[in-house]
Amino acid sequence: MQPLDDVVKEFLVESLENLDRLDRSLVDLEQDPHDRENLASIFRTIHTIKGTCGFLGFGKLESVSHVGESLLSRMRDGELVLDASITTGLLAMVDAIRRILAAIETTGSEPGESYGELIATLNRLNAPGPQAAAPPAAAGVLAEAKVDPGPESSPDAAATRRTAVHVADAPARTSEDTVMETEIPDVRGADERSGAGDRRPAIADTSLRVDVGLLDKLMNLVGELVLARNQILQFTTTQSDSAFVGATQRLNLVASELQEGVMKTRMQPIDNVWSKFPRVVRDLAVACGKQVRIEMVGKETELDKTIIEAIKDPLTHVVRNSADHGIEAPEVRIARGKHPEGVVKLRAFHEGGQINIEISDDGAGIDPERVRRKAVERSMVSAEQAGRMSDHEALRLIFLPGFSTAEKVTNVSGRGVGMDVVKTNIEKIGGTVDIQSAAGQGTTLKIRIPLTLAIIPAVMVSTGGEVFAIPQVSLLELVRLEGDQARAGIERIGAATFHRLRGNLLPLVHLHSELNLVSQGDPGVVNIVVLKADDRQFGLVVDAVNDTEEIVVKPLGRQLKSVQVFAGATIMGDGHVALILDATRLAQQAHVLSADRDRKLNDRQGRPLAHETTDVQTWMLFQVNGAERMAMPLHLVARLEEFATGDLERSGGQEVVQYRGEILPLVSLTRFFGGTAGADSDPRQVIVFSDRGRSVGLVVDRILDIVTETITPTRSQARPGILGAAVIQQRVTDLLDVAAIVRHAVPESVPKSVAA
Amino acid sequence: MKALVVDDSRAIRVILGQMLGDLGYEVAEARHGREALIHLQSHTDTALALIDWNMPEMNGLELVQAVHADPRLVDVRLMMVTTETEMAQMARAIEAGAHEYVMKPFTRSVIEGKLHLLGLPSTHGAAA
Repeated sequence: MQPLDDVVKEFLVESLENLDRLDRSLVDLEQDPHDRENLASIFRTIHTIKGTCGFLGFGKLESVSHVGESLLSRMRDGELVLDASITTGLLAMVDAIRRILAAIETTGSEPGESYGELIATLNRLNAPGPQAAAPPAAAGVLAEAKVDPGPESSPDAAATRRTAVHVADAPARTSEDTVMETEIPDVRGADERSGAGDRRPAIADTSLRVDVGLLDKLMNLVGELVLARNQILQFTTTQSDSAFVGATQRLNLVASELQEGVMKTRMQPIDNVWSKFPRVVRDLAVACGKQVRIEMVGKETELDKTIIEAIKDPLTHVVRNSADHGIEAPEVRIARGKHPEGVVKLRAFHEGGQINIEISDDGAGIDPERVRRKAVERSMVSAEQAGRMSDHEALRLIFLPGFSTAEKVTNVSGRGVGMDVVKTNIEKIGGTVDIQSAAGQGTTLKIRIPLTLAIIPAVMVSTGGEVFAIPQVSLLELVRLEGDQARAGIERIGAATFHRLRGNLLPLVHLHSELNLVSQGDPGVVNIVVLKADDRQFGLVVDAVNDTEEIVVKPLGRQLKSVQVFAGATIMGDGHVALILDATRLAQQAHVLSADRDRKLNDRQGRPLAHETTDVQTWMLFQVNGAERMAMPLHLVARLEEFATGDLERSGGQEVVQYRGEILPLVSLTRFFGGTAGADSDPRQVIVFSDRGRSVGLVVDRILDIVTETITPTRSQARPGILGAAVIQQRVTDLLDVAAIVRHAVPESVPKSVAA
Repeated sequence: MKALVVDDSRAIRVILGQMLGDLGYEVAEARHGREALIHLQSHTDTALALIDWNMPEMNGLELVQAVHADPRLVDVRLMMVTTETEMAQMARAIEAGAHEYVMKPFTRSVIEGKLHLLGLPSTHGAAA
């Protein structure tokens, strides 16, 4: 391979850019074949490519674009009207041109292929005569023409076609990677100033092409500058020289503006990813015999280039899913009283320093019941767990590895990867994914991602003399307990500790014990950083909470890569290095995360899902009826309470207690399992269970422990109120059927609230 | 001597700019007719404009008409850069006031010949 001439490089970049736009323009043109403006711009793109080829000696490219140009010029002159087969033909031509450009980019010359078939097809489409005669046959040929007839041609046409598309995509990506367009405002003024010595006043260029590598380097340098600035700012706290302080403040401002400016140069509109979707959706719709329209709002929303790269694949997958699995066939839609044409809508907007992306469709929606069934079938959750889940929680099951609700795997979107990959990829860049769906009305996927990855706001904490940074995206609130609160505010159940935050049990993770450090904090004070990991909250106990800081994320060295609780490192204002904590990993390591997360971890360790019959869960162990050991999943426990016998009242034969402005019915488990009435201890030990607004108190003898264990339940011990038994902590333990007990004890709905 | 290359393609602008630059011309670029017109009106000493046909905003023919209508620009030599498919329209451009045309793709010697016909510098560095 020889180094490419500057002109050829320019040609490649320009052409690939134009081709990306062309995909969309052609799809638009199909919707509105009489849009002259659009037609003219499409024509111009192909015309320019053809015209330039002559200079550069790319004969094949010239002949392919020539037939396309003739076809387009007849359409422009009104002699031909665009139809589906012509669109497909022109798209095939665009793909062919992309492939040729790709070959030129990598090898310096055109590929061996002749493209004779494509040219023949396009010529046929261009042939004068009744249009109706050509289409069906032509479409068939075209489908083949799209298949890259390379030597690796496999009998599986679908697979080959996918390869071809993939190959065609690759060069576009490479060229985007190396060069990005940067708007430099106000160059016009400079042009006018520049005198005759300037060989090229170039009034055309108000924008410059800049190597991304250079921008990355600038970003790095700005990062270093921000660090140096932070260091200097530290000195000002001990300095009284007003000139020095003044200069430092200016430095501070300028550095901030510079940082912002450099970050802006890396920003690209999300349209750079979206522009490919009309084509994707169009091809999919044609392949599945559906009618799908794509709508986009907020195309101009800008994101950091690295993030654009990272969301490209997940977004593509979601959009394909919407068109393939979401939107119904036209006849089904008509039967359901919908417009035969389905709509996939993309929306992007900034909110609170983050980017929100929503992908919604007006398709069939996802049936939570079917998701539950599937998850149980695949032993992802137990039937009991599935039954307990709210519809929203059930929907989120589709983010588990290996989950796919499609009745049949289609060759368009059933590619073996699922929503779990989407979720993992989004989370990798510090984002979150959520899903909403209404049966019959459609599905909406909401993605939130940070604006940039390079510099993030973080709260600095210290433990055992070390400083750690916690990204603010995972931070919910800070809680400080002093004096009596520091003792009474922490509850111990077995080895686990909890803090009761506004009535909810917040599992605590002690940073010093997770990292094997010796706590140096004031024993009279407990600092809790409340973090969100996945959907769960937990409290991270640290020695001290220092400050918030804009930190520059540096990748970890090889030595620390294997320590999963760290997401990276940063250099602080005082020059010391602080490690950045990964909230999700930390929660996993400390076992405070929900079962699905644990399961995911197991998968990563290569355990096959299909053979999995056990449950990794956190269980609350308690004692009932004097000696019986029982367990229930911790996530069902809302609170632990003690009630003095004097506070208990009776209502309709039911023991109740006034609790937080509501009447809480109490169920004595001892009595339920045939024990003596009145044997319950005083004060009553109560596990408060909450589900969909209903709360019930389960009275037990005493709480024993909280354990996270992999258990293998057996059904042999099942009886009313007991799901089965399992060995927990080397002892046989009954697993409580909470749902059955609540149903039995409180048949109808619990009264909502009483006036205090 | 000043020249202007009017084309919506960056690659073409670079190619033509290099050719004219080697002959010694001081080359400016414009992306479409309107930009070119504004440039010519503010640089009335421009001797030569190479004009593409198919451009957004204002196409080559419209540019020729506009230049022709502006008495300040009578001295600018207008050379249409066309392709085979556009040859049929060439007559309209000549009627509108274009002085010469050159068909894509062309070599250095072709454009040198055309410049010679127009009485403009046409050998290496001659226009400097």
